[in-house]
Amino acid sequence: MSEQRLSRRSVIAGSSVGLVSAAAGCIEEGGLLGGGGGSDGPIIGVLEDRSGEFALNGESKWQATLMAIEEINADGGVLGEEVEVYDPDPQSDNERYQELTREAINSEQVDALWAAYSSADREAIRPIVNDHDQLYFYTTQYEGGVCDETVFPVGATARQQLGAVIPWMIEEFGDEIYIINADYNFGNISQDWVRLLADEEGAEIVGSEEIPLGETDFASTINDIQAEDPDFIASMLVGSDHENFYDQRADNELDIPIGSSTTMAQGYEHERLDPPGLADIYVGVNYMPELETEASEEFTDKFYDEYPDAEYVNQEAQNNYFSVYLWKEAVEEAGTFDQDEVIAQLESGMEVDAPEGTIELDPATHHMTHHMRIGHSDEDHNITFDEEQYIEPSFLHEVGCDLTEESETTQYEPSDFYDGI
Amino acid sequence: MSVKSSIGVLANRLREPFEGPNTIGNTNGFWIGFLLTVLLFAIYPILFGPYAALNPAQFLVFALLAVSLTFIWGFCGILSFGQVAFFGVAGYTFGIVTINIPTYTGATLGIIIAVAVATAFAAVIGYFMFYGGVRDVYVTILTLVVALVLHTFMEQTAGSQWTIGEAHLGGYNGMNVPQDLAVGFGETGVAFDGVAHYYVVLFTLVVTYLLLRAVVNSRFGYAMVATREDEARTEMFGYNTTFIKLAAFTVGGAIAGISGVLFVTWGAYINPSQFELVAATMPVIYASIGGRKSFAGTILAAVAIQYLELQLTGEWAFVIVGSLLVLIILTMPDGIAPRVRNLVLAVGEWRSNRDRSGQSPPAEEVSD
Amino acid sequence: MSTDTIPDAVYVVLRIFFEFTHSFGLLVLATVGLAVIFGMMGIINLAHGEFILIGAYGTTLSFHAGLPLPLAMVTGVAVTTVVGLILERTVIRHLYDRLLDSMVATFGLSLVIIQLTRILFGNTTNNVSLSMGSISYGPYSSGTYRILLAVIALVVLAVLYWVFTRTKFGLRARATMQDAETARAMGVNTDRMYMLTFGLGAALAGLTGALFTPAFTVDPEIGSEFLVESFVTVVVGGPSVLIGTSLGGALLGTIDAMFTWIGGSFLGEIMILIAAIIAIRIMPEGITGLLEDWRQKRREDE
Repeated sequence: MSEQRLSRRSVIAGSSVGLVSAAAGCIEEGGLLGGGGGSDGPIIGVLEDRSGEFALNGESKWQATLMAIEEINADGGVLGEEVEVYDPDPQSDNERYQELTREAINSEQVDALWAAYSSADREAIRPIVNDHDQLYFYTTQYEGGVCDETVFPVGATARQQLGAVIPWMIEEFGDEIYIINADYNFGNISQDWVRLLADEEGAEIVGSEEIPLGETDFASTINDIQAEDPDFIASMLVGSDHENFYDQRADNELDIPIGSSTTMAQGYEHERLDPPGLADIYVGVNYMPELETEASEEFTDKFYDEYPDAEYVNQEAQNNYFSVYLWKEAVEEAGTFDQDEVIAQLESGMEVDAPEGTIELDPATHHMTHHMRIGHSDEDHNITFDEEQYIEPSFLHEVGCDLTEESETTQYEPSDFYDGI
Repeated sequence: MSVKSSIGVLANRLREPFEGPNTIGNTNGFWIGFLLTVLLFAIYPILFGPYAALNPAQFLVFALLAVSLTFIWGFCGILSFGQVAFFGVAGYTFGIVTINIPTYTGATLGIIIAVAVATAFAAVIGYFMFYGGVRDVYVTILTLVVALVLHTFMEQTAGSQWTIGEAHLGGYNGMNVPQDLAVGFGETGVAFDGVAHYYVVLFTLVVTYLLLRAVVNSRFGYAMVATREDEARTEMFGYNTTFIKLAAFTVGGAIAGISGVLFVTWGAYINPSQFELVAATMPVIYASIGGRKSFAGTILAAVAIQYLELQLTGEWAFVIVGSLLVLIILTMPDGIAPRVRNLVLAVGEWRSNRDRSGQSPPAEEVSD
Repeated sequence: MSTDTIPDAVYVVLRIFFEFTHSFGLLVLATVGLAVIFGMMGIINLAHGEFILIGAYGTTLSFHAGLPLPLAMVTGVAVTTVVGLILERTVIRHLYDRLLDSMVATFGLSLVIIQLTRILFGNTTNNVSLSMGSISYGPYSSGTYRILLAVIALVVLAVLYWVFTRTKFGLRARATMQDAETARAMGVNTDRMYMLTFGLGAALAGLTGALFTPAFTVDPEIGSEFLVESFVTVVVGGPSVLIGTSLGGALLGTIDAMFTWIGGSFLGEIMILIAAIIAIRIMPEGITGLLEDWRQKRREDE
């Protein structure tokens, strides 16, 4: 291509020769009437859904973040200063996320941002985050692949979760797999990972279906699975509509075990749905509150003391909690709230004591190495854990993402790097 | 004295094309208010800083989308739920073009092609409906279903097979569109980012507003309103009402397309939620609350409602907004704008009566 | 296997039939309430899904308070009816001659109802389970309860038919909706008819919520699962509540089952919408409008 790609920065430079912005450039950043904006002390932005589609998942993320900040403030704050919180409700709404992110960055001038449950919301605000080089923690488990200079996606990736559960399922139950997944980015990329992992293990995919988000009737899906009679099902269903699958599965006595990356740890289906809908579901997680380690029990005790009415403290709530502490430690070691320096500190490689265990940040990719467990629900929906592995974010290493060497703001997908999927 | 009166003549001459029986604000007072409002929006970034203009830019983008509905609903009786379809199609098209041609040429082409595609899409849907005898509430439902088809379709375009050139449609997660709003050729041109984008949006909205006022007060506008009031009779007078509806609908689609381009360059992002039921409802809400026969009312309602929503951050936000909608609809049947206008007229009348009884000279030109 | 003698094709046909009954039951039950409020009264009720929500919450909460499921369902219907009647008296009543405004008002109501539900009862509920098992045939099976819902849908339609054609209320209500002036002149209390008809529509939506409580996850967003399907079915069916809803449900149910079988859920979902677009285009008054035209033409020919 002869024409060079315009980078966003050069475009901004271009615009500053524009008449209007030149005029605007003459005035103060805050305008004639606007104040300096933001608070004097440190402040973080917490945009987590408490209404709309993702409220079920967002609520405890929000609660756990506030709890972490309260603990930190009670313990003397960060660098001796009390941390404030800017936490309006984004209502699971894309545009609102964009508006509030601009508010958080421009008006509140947050020192770090925690925001978004869904990947779509993350993608909606990432251009704004990039524009302002804002330090941003995205904590949901997600499809993986984000290689972005100021973004720290600290949740487990699909590769980490499925890497824990799929090979184990193949060994335990057999090598014929039927895949069902929500028909969107996360689901489709997860399907790609299942195929890659099956390939590595010499297993066979006997069928697959991409199911639209919002589908409630699984009669046809269940019949298709029955016709193939696989050894196990790899399921990446998402959202409350897809939950109907579990009851319909029980009604149809579809007792084929399920390996999953999406159930229970986020939406606590095992507590909300009556048994035996989730019987013999195995989920790859980095955290569930049923985990009986000392750190986990300490965390859940504190959480339920703080929020006695809370329904569940999910995997993402844990991720928010430890990442606030991760940020605190980075700030204190850097000795400043300056975001570039905090990012540099984080990129020096850090460790944090999380409820899931002590985990490390991978400097090159900004992802965490996680303790991945296999949570198993029995027919009474009791949770036990089967195996634990310490899995690093290998995919981005393989594609050559190294943010300590080269800044970029890309999202990589496995289908761009592997054949046969 | 003569200078003053010649300015008055000039002002009247200037106003003429934008006034008529189909718009409700035609007085001196209205135009002064209009200029003051535009001025207020224009100096807003100077008063509160360029960053403060970023969210209002989005409010104005959606105001423009609502204006596209006001034009066809308020003046031609076509209640379309599908304006978001044209909006979204233009947004995606701009993304596809500019991702494939990441230069000023691409940005310029992106604008042109995006608006052209949205316009053509509106023309096709309009032709399909109006020449097929679809009318009234069935138009509403059909346009809504068109938006929902796009929603369902776009949500499942996550796979890499849904790629046009370099542009990946992106499914539910949407499409990042790094190109700013810009015009130019090759490596030379002007880009409008940040506050400059705000001014482009404001300028587009004001120009669209004035042009649409001129259109609804033209012969074509009279025909539109006649079609709205009584289609059969208008047909008898020799007008091709089907064509009038198609033409109005297509223009509405073009305006929605322009707002879609302004939207995607604002957030550098678009995803299928733009085609959802709630998104499709919002322009209808703005037009109903503001007054579906008033462009100014629609614009101000759109800005006010979005501003209110942004300010309400707690769990009661939806309850307050919802109750407000119900309350306004119950108390102000035609929206706020006609109510305000009547109020202004009543005050004016009261004042001129008082003046007259005080033997002062008769009040100058009154409304309409 | 003992079923060796039965060819696979039979199972496939059975399977498509049962999947059709699922779809049909959902479409008809989602639609009946709206068919009364939108089809008959012309009110674009964007809070239709939230009436279903109230029915589902009424059922769930009273079930967990200790009522047996059938009684809990009755409670759900009763609560929805009462809420419907209150809203009719306070809001909807003022909007009968302003049908498009009714859309904004009901959209506002739906925002309020969803969020109040969330504030009062949280983001989720404990589910109500009803294990009825399934019917197996060959390699396949179909959930019994969903099949039962299709049967209930038919019963509801039959009862509605009886109400609208055989009772005094039905005759008066129909007269009022067709021509309120004349009905008033004939001594019908049209205001009361509007109220009762709206109440009936709300009650039917509540019934849908109650019936789907054991089958769906009941949360504040549940209404959105029904709204689109119901509008599409009403429009395809046309204004006649009974015939329109059953034919609309049957047509779209068949399309859903066939295309889901051919190409998966996505194809089924999008084909319903595309079928609706085509249906509106070729029969702007819905199936019943088409039947009406056809009957009139035949009468003229005779």
